[in-house]
Amino acid sequence: MDLKRVYLDNCVTTKPSKEALDAMKIYTDEKFWFPGNFFSTGEEIASALKSFQETFSATIGAKPEEIHFTSSGTIANNIAIKGTLMANSGKGTHVIISNVDYPDILTNVAFFENSGFEVTYLECDTEGFVSADKLKAAIRPDTIMFMTSIANHVVGTIQPVKEYSEVLKTADHKIFFHADACQAYGKIPLNVDELGVNTMTISAHKIHGPQGVGALYIRKGTPVAPVIHGVKRVDVHNTGGINIAGIAGFIKAVEVAFENFDDNVAYLRKLTDYILAKVEAEITHTSINGALGERRAPHNMNISFDYIEGEAITMMLDINGITVATGSACASQGLQANYVLMAMKKTHVQSHGSIKFTVSKYNTIEEIDYTIEKLKAVVDTLRSHSPLFIEKNGK
Amino acid sequence: MQYSQTVIDHFMNPHNVGKMEKPDAVATEGSPACGDQVTVYLKVNDDTKIIEDIKFQSYGCASNIATGSIITDLAIGKSLNEAKDITWKEAADALDGLPPVKMHCSVLAVDTLRTAIQNYEIAKGLITPPDFTKETIADELKKVIYPQVGEDIVSLKMVKYIGFTDGVATVDLDIPKFDTFRDNVVEEIKEHLEKYPQVMDIVVNY
Repeated sequence: MDLKRVYLDNCVTTKPSKEALDAMKIYTDEKFWFPGNFFSTGEEIASALKSFQETFSATIGAKPEEIHFTSSGTIANNIAIKGTLMANSGKGTHVIISNVDYPDILTNVAFFENSGFEVTYLECDTEGFVSADKLKAAIRPDTIMFMTSIANHVVGTIQPVKEYSEVLKTADHKIFFHADACQAYGKIPLNVDELGVNTMTISAHKIHGPQGVGALYIRKGTPVAPVIHGVKRVDVHNTGGINIAGIAGFIKAVEVAFENFDDNVAYLRKLTDYILAKVEAEITHTSINGALGERRAPHNMNISFDYIEGEAITMMLDINGITVATGSACASQGLQANYVLMAMKKTHVQSHGSIKFTVSKYNTIEEIDYTIEKLKAVVDTLRSHSPLFIEKNGK
Repeated sequence: MQYSQTVIDHFMNPHNVGKMEKPDAVATEGSPACGDQVTVYLKVNDDTKIIEDIKFQSYGCASNIATGSIITDLAIGKSLNEAKDITWKEAADALDGLPPVKMHCSVLAVDTLRTAIQNYEIAKGLITPPDFTKETIADELKKVIYPQVGEDIVSLKMVKYIGFTDGVATVDLDIPKFDTFRDNVVEEIKEHLEKYPQVMDIVVNY
């Protein structure tokens, strides 16, 4: 095959679909206006936004007015977390999260922890699951909020969100529940009533929509203080300029994702199952990180290659036109082994040697074959340089 | 972060890589926990003290492999005394530079070479193993690179105090609480000091 880029880092961002880009065009070329009342241009955009809220809300079982479009998943997480904690700090200052949550949650909570809040970090098991029993045991009279990432961004573990919700319902007092669904939306069915969440975030560019668009669900009646202050064009949470073209692209991406939801998901799982099967058949000294089957997000496969280091693997694959991610310290911002894998009690060597393959509908079986062929050669080369491999295997 | 073409070349086709049979000296520095480990093997002419052959092995990232490769090129054919003088800055320059966050790889490679040379000299009775003092700690701290800027923490005046009493090495650091690299710097300090049998415990305050 030609050396075109094989992109297997789709949990970071995905290629925007042609349908999404086409849907944006009318709003970039012609209807570039902001929403408003009493004039036709503003009303047209306001009406478009309303229909976009309707389309999106239907996919998660919400009401249209509970949907707030934002400029990213991270902004949506900030509004939900900061807004909920600020609005409810009079009732308590204890927060529960887990040690494998997405950095949006961890860093927001660290900010509050440094301002006097107390945080309980629930520990995950060796597959990355955080049990509802642990949540139950951590609840205190002053607990005001629990947060989780529905599908883990490193190993794809799908947390038992409905069980969390049952635990929270039985608490003596109200505990607000925020879920980051950026890795889960479009990959597993999500219904806000079944999940029992108060707030939930989604990101457009994870599902072949444009970058720079997110959605925040806020259950009616949940007190959330506005945190992004400025000119109000839509509502108090959604201030400033409106990226109407981006939202239009996002909603088209939503429609496409839900047109053949089951088939899309089955295709992703076929690709990741294939990666695992090929690696297990063709490369020695490997281990899967995370759960197998339905408890794992269908687009995620994370495998450790013992005795070699992930940054070197990703670099050699990159030179061969393949993009993957690693949990190695050398490839991280703080030069630390990936915190999710370490929390799962993986060894340093397993964490440093972990490779994350995340697929999209644009990937093909041929691309996976090419990737594994190159990977096999890369692993052999690096192991031939590695003192750890030679020590263990006597070569 | 961008690697130079020379780094890529050495990474993809490292020179003098592999295990040496019957070396005159060998040294391993770094650790699997930190994600980088280098082993250097030497063959030395006993009369001329010239490094006649050198090989390395690497468990590490692209720049770890590239710096291992370049120090073998720099050291081969040199006398032990000349090879001791190779600095990590020279090794990085020979690779047309390294990103600041990767400068510690060059330090590790040069450090491993120097330890191999020292092991040779000790084995041949040319030197006696040096005593462990506060100076040893200071020398080790000069090998700990602050990844943000690619300079060592001593030159950057981040080390405020060094102590060594009853087997406990104490290092006081001036590093901000929210510094992205704080945990990495602390781990590096521990890795550099815990290899000494004289050090029973390491306390890093910040």
